[in-house]
Amino acid sequence: MAQNDSILKINNLSVAYGHVQALNDISLDVKRGEIVVLVGANGAGKTSIMETVLGANVPVSGDIEFKGMHIGGVPVDKNVRNGMFLVPEGRGVFSSMTVMDNLLLGAHHNLKNSTEKLELVFESFPVLGERRTQVAGTLSGGERQMLAIARALMSSPEMIMVDEPSIGLAPIIVNDIFEILVNLNKEGYSILLSEQNVYKALKIAHRGYVLETGKITKSGTAEELLNDEAVREAYLGA
Amino acid sequence: MEILIAQIFNGLSIGSIYVLLVTGFNLLLLVAMIIHFSFPVVVVFSMYISWVVMTLTGSVTLGVVGGIASAIIVNMITAPMFQHIMKDRGSVDINATMVISMGMGMVITDILSHTFNQGFPIAFPDALTGNDQGALISVGLVSISRGQVLTLVIGVLFVAFLFWLLYKTRAGRAFRAIAEDPNGAKLVGIPLLKTGFQSYALTGILGGVTAVLMAVLLGSASAGLGDQLGHKVLAVSIIAGLGNLTGGLIIGLLLGILEAIIQGYLAGSWSNAIAFIVMLVVILAKPKGVFGSKL
Ligand SMILES: Nc1ncnc2c1ncn2[C@@H]1O[C@H](COP(=O)(O)OP(=O)(O)OP(=O)(O)O)[C@@H](O)[C@H]1O
Ligand SMILES: [Mg+2]
Repeated sequence: MAQNDSILKINNLSVAYGHVQALNDISLDVKRGEIVVLVGANGAGKTSIMETVLGANVPVSGDIEFKGMHIGGVPVDKNVRNGMFLVPEGRGVFSSMTVMDNLLLGAHHNLKNSTEKLELVFESFPVLGERRTQVAGTLSGGERQMLAIARALMSSPEMIMVDEPSIGLAPIIVNDIFEILVNLNKEGYSILLSEQNVYKALKIAHRGYVLETGKITKSGTAEELLNDEAVREAYLGA
Repeated sequence: MEILIAQIFNGLSIGSIYVLLVTGFNLLLLVAMIIHFSFPVVVVFSMYISWVVMTLTGSVTLGVVGGIASAIIVNMITAPMFQHIMKDRGSVDINATMVISMGMGMVITDILSHTFNQGFPIAFPDALTGNDQGALISVGLVSISRGQVLTLVIGVLFVAFLFWLLYKTRAGRAFRAIAEDPNGAKLVGIPLLKTGFQSYALTGILGGVTAVLMAVLLGSASAGLGDQLGHKVLAVSIIAGLGNLTGGLIIGLLLGILEAIIQGYLAGSWSNAIAFIVMLVVILAKPKGVFGSKL
């Protein structure tokens, strides 16, 4: 895979909610085939970046390019159609709806081939297949996270944004989820990940950005960030 | 016993009207997030339009089409008003939609009582109601009219269709997703405004069909009918549990049967009061609704 071909490119992006400036002059990129991690404390702006890329927020200024197209102000449904999907913070699965319905919502914009896609998903996540008629509210936290990831796959994305998948999960389940992400990446999906579980995230990522109160303060390869004094001190407790 | 059977059948037909109205109200509440308790007033308005078309053209078919069309049109015309305040769902107060609905109800009721038939109740022709053909089934004291059978059958079919649409189709899935979590629905790429409009169109069709069934079953309408039904629909949906579609189905039918039994055994003119007293007792016992709110 051509490593210098960006699937996502953000230039000087600023986002505000009313008077709250959430993102300040952010620039970053995700290359095809990469896992890029956004690292930052609560309120740093990780979710804001992802939701703005997705089209759920309108930027104040700056430019977002996805697959070479300018997508600032493009609504979510168009962006999903174009090949991106968000696995939201807290999973965002619909508890009152069945596993099957949740999966089909991922393919809402294009139900063609959804039967084949479901088969593939059930092959990768047998537990979801077993529970397809169960409502999502009865799933465990780890299963819900799997469902949220599987729902993203149903949309046939090229880039998946995964917002703090490890939140509220036992360490062993976090490992499973990260392994799933690594495998998806190997299959060719580009991944933008946000995490507070910095060590594990950097272990699976190619590159990372450190975010502090809406600004990028550091960036580099995962290796570089893992060995960075300041990063180690602030996020790795070393 | 015969009276009981007859009244239960009566109750089921009027109950299926309540069910249709409550389902429309709940759909708007869940999907478009508006409290449209004047929805039944729109339905009565469509009865009037249907009557006008029948009177002018002499054609029952055109009247039916006109009634259904007018419900869809009224719903779609008023949708932007509701959508305007619902654009920013996170921060909007859903109660504001109630004020719009109330205003709409008042305007429509006033129009009906001032401009149509000099304010007198309207009566639908026998060609629609089938009243001139006598009872369809008549055994002893039990007599069941064509109108009752028609209302019950179409009512049941239409509610079944709605449930099929909600639980088995793409649009229905989007409706349910928005009903559970509008923001989550937006993040998976469901266009909120467009889907909201679809729910207006759907409830428009629902309202139109209900208007025609009411014309067939009741044979007449007055300007105050919409308000009266509006109160009942609101009460039924709260007692069932706001937004609870299955609950609305059950309570709607039960209210119909309750009223019919009161009319059969006690004083007919007291049926509203007694029905509301029963509902009052139920709501005191189950303040969150018998089947639980889905909001
Ligand atoms: N809808 C909103 N309205 C107002 N302010 C918001 C809104 N969403 C986010 N913010 C603010 O924007 C800033 C960035 O928030 P964001 O949710 O992007 O951070 P985050 O890095 O995802 O944090 P967390 O790790 O807690 O999820 C915060 O100061 C937050 O309070
Ligand atoms: Mg966040």
